[in-house]
Amino acid sequence: MKPESPTPCACGKNACDETRPQPEQNSRRNFLGIAAAGMAGIMLAPGVRLIEIAQAATPAAAGASPKVRWGMLIDSSKCTPGCNACVVGCQTENGLPTQPGPTDTQYIRKIDIKEVRTGKTASLPMMCQHCAEPPCVDVCPTGASFKRADGIVLVDKHTCIGCRYCMMACPYKARSFVHEPLTHQKPDVPRGVGTVESCTMCVHRVDRGEQPACMVACAAAGYNAIVFGDLNDPASEISKRVAQFSTKQIREDLKLNTGVRYQGL
Amino acid sequence: MSLARLFCHAALLLVLALSATAQASESGVAQATTGRVAKPIIEPARGDKCVEPAQDMRRNHMEYLKHQRDDTMRGGIRGAKYSLKTCIECHASQTTNSVTAAPTNFCISCHSFAAVKVDCFECHATQPASKSVSFMPLGHPTQAHGVLSNLRRQFQNLAPLKP
Amino acid sequence: MRLALRQLEGRSAGYYLLLAALIALTALGLGAAWAMEHHGHIITGMNNQIVWGLPHVFAVFLVVAASGALNIASMSSVFGKTSYKPLAPLSGLLAIALLLGGLAVLMLDLGRADRLIVAMTHYNFKSIFAWNVILYSGFMGLVVAYLWTMMEARMNKFSGQAGLAAFIWRLLLTTGTGSIFGFLVGRQAFGSALLGPMFIVFSLSYGLAVFMLILFAISKGSQRALDPAMQDRLARLLAIFVSSAAYFVLVYHLTNLYFAKQHGLERFVLIDGGIYTNLFWLGQIGLGSVLPLVLLLNPSSRQSRTALVIAALLVIAGGMAQMYVTIIGSQAYPIEIFPDYQVSSSFGDGVVAPYTPRLPELLLGLGGFAMVGVIVLLALKWLAFIPQRLDSFPSDQLKHPATQSNT
Repeated sequence: MKPESPTPCACGKNACDETRPQPEQNSRRNFLGIAAAGMAGIMLAPGVRLIEIAQAATPAAAGASPKVRWGMLIDSSKCTPGCNACVVGCQTENGLPTQPGPTDTQYIRKIDIKEVRTGKTASLPMMCQHCAEPPCVDVCPTGASFKRADGIVLVDKHTCIGCRYCMMACPYKARSFVHEPLTHQKPDVPRGVGTVESCTMCVHRVDRGEQPACMVACAAAGYNAIVFGDLNDPASEISKRVAQFSTKQIREDLKLNTGVRYQGL
Repeated sequence: MSLARLFCHAALLLVLALSATAQASESGVAQATTGRVAKPIIEPARGDKCVEPAQDMRRNHMEYLKHQRDDTMRGGIRGAKYSLKTCIECHASQTTNSVTAAPTNFCISCHSFAAVKVDCFECHATQPASKSVSFMPLGHPTQAHGVLSNLRRQFQNLAPLKP
Repeated sequence: MRLALRQLEGRSAGYYLLLAALIALTALGLGAAWAMEHHGHIITGMNNQIVWGLPHVFAVFLVVAASGALNIASMSSVFGKTSYKPLAPLSGLLAIALLLGGLAVLMLDLGRADRLIVAMTHYNFKSIFAWNVILYSGFMGLVVAYLWTMMEARMNKFSGQAGLAAFIWRLLLTTGTGSIFGFLVGRQAFGSALLGPMFIVFSLSYGLAVFMLILFAISKGSQRALDPAMQDRLARLLAIFVSSAAYFVLVYHLTNLYFAKQHGLERFVLIDGGIYTNLFWLGQIGLGSVLPLVLLLNPSSRQSRTALVIAALLVIAGGMAQMYVTIIGSQAYPIEIFPDYQVSSSFGDGVVAPYTPRLPELLLGLGGFAMVGVIVLLALKWLAFIPQRLDSFPSDQLKHPATQSNT
């Protein structure tokens, strides 16, 4: 690089009062100033309009009722290590890959556990626990991860930007990210690349008055380990069972108040 | 205007005209040229009529769908007037049974013509639910797949090569 | 005080070559981002166990360094260390450039990067990520305003206030960045209130290291000799920050070692985590803390420009290693859903998740660094950020009415 031209200022220090910005610097500054102001205006203006629109769109009267709290009770003592009927049922219902690899979605998985000290084994399905205080909902920057009025935790794929923060936040590792463009989705289960998804408790079935596919598959396989119902309704099967038997939430020390409870663990 | 500028303008116009005609014939846009303006070829839908008049829908279908999606997604309201699934059940092509498979299929025809990307079908199914859906683990015809993970699975399932 | 600032002439072959190389690297990064957008994240090494990969390591490092790079300016405007004043505009420029680079990598790694407008119009204010969107963009605006007060003579009297605003905002921003991890209760490595303050100290260390490297490069490239006293001061400052950062790391691990439930994680990080253990001990501690401190605290090496350049580079390398362990190591270690149980499943439960970064991720991350370089090189040439002389700096003026002079 060529050396700098000799300085006009004789004192040699930086706090020189005679220093003036060169003419072309001044006009360059002016230009940048005007351009910056203009850019700011252009960038802010559409945002103002969009915020108006976003705020005006208030949700209509809900089909999901806050009086209901959907939950599941899983009796792991009825689960066998080799069985994955619930998983297959879920895959079929939701159009998920049947032999998932590390980048493929799993809404529900069978976990085999063995207590290290005693050797006691158990097997259980693990899916989104539909917490009442979901960490995934807290951390989602756009509010795409949300809890419906009836307790089902969902991802609004319209708003999901695919940041995967909810996947970092979930204490149960329940969420999956769609790593590649998909085709032939089920009409009831929209899924797309670049968004995050998890067990929806078969919300499309629940809204029709049916039961989640995992429960149906387990019943079809003859085990009846999964019970689904309204935890707020004292007359429902699930409410009666959780009042009668000892059940626990997984990682209950986190006090997330999960909608999925387990028996036999 | 100098000769050079005139030449540049003429060349530009020529290029645009050529590319426009090339576009129309090469790209997936199905067009009918009646009169001076090319119009997209849109397959007619099944059913008797849409939930709104065509002109209204052309202008506002995106607004209706956008507001409906929040009611359905967050509110749990199903089967409402502007349900996308119901749209597809009528508008799916008689030949491809899809709204985006071929250039004349309903959604894609207009959207390619207007060069507006359709984001919906990144996630939403392009085909109507088959009426004979039964819960049978072995019998389901459609299964969402990603091409690359499918390929990887096939490779993994191949027999190992002999040394 | 009025600052005598100059532009870089920027017409030498070296300048153009460097600029061309950095633009090429940025272009490669953008190409990688396009490929990820087009094909999906399946072309990267990320999967459902390691959801934040190499791009996040680069991005978070750049964002943290951005906050720390403003420290020189903050010290001059807020803490009365007026000897740093001539370097303040350069500090502001670096803060903006680093933040832009980090944000670019972060935003291009999104699964739906085309939905940035959604991110800017839908806010869940319980999410620290949503706050960060505001904090990061606000920081840029504030630093631009701060630069304006320093570089526009008639606005000089406001530079103290602008500096204070930028300083407070910096603290919020960096706490927000650390809290991205600190607020997560589900993973063993996170959920600690220490992470916010720890990231602030990291930012001071990494930001100053980057600043020093750029300052040395400018000094050499524009042939302005750097005052040995200032060089010595910066070196000592870096030593303070590196040791403070090491202190936070010590407290974090000591506390974890006290909790039986954290022993699994500590064993993984400190002993048998394979690459994560190596990166922690050799990278973060050895290269990133101990070796730089040796170079910076030894009087003879502190006077050597080469030793300081090496020390700064080591701090940056150590910082990248720290980010890798913090971000990726925490994901590799299996979430303890059933403590004291052996766990196995089809979804990677109970096993350390393997992760091999692939080329698109590396290119995207490097592209972020290159983008910082392009911004800095162009800004130095187009606007006056470089002090006219680097061989003398004003003394620190004490703010007492009796000693008050025209500033």
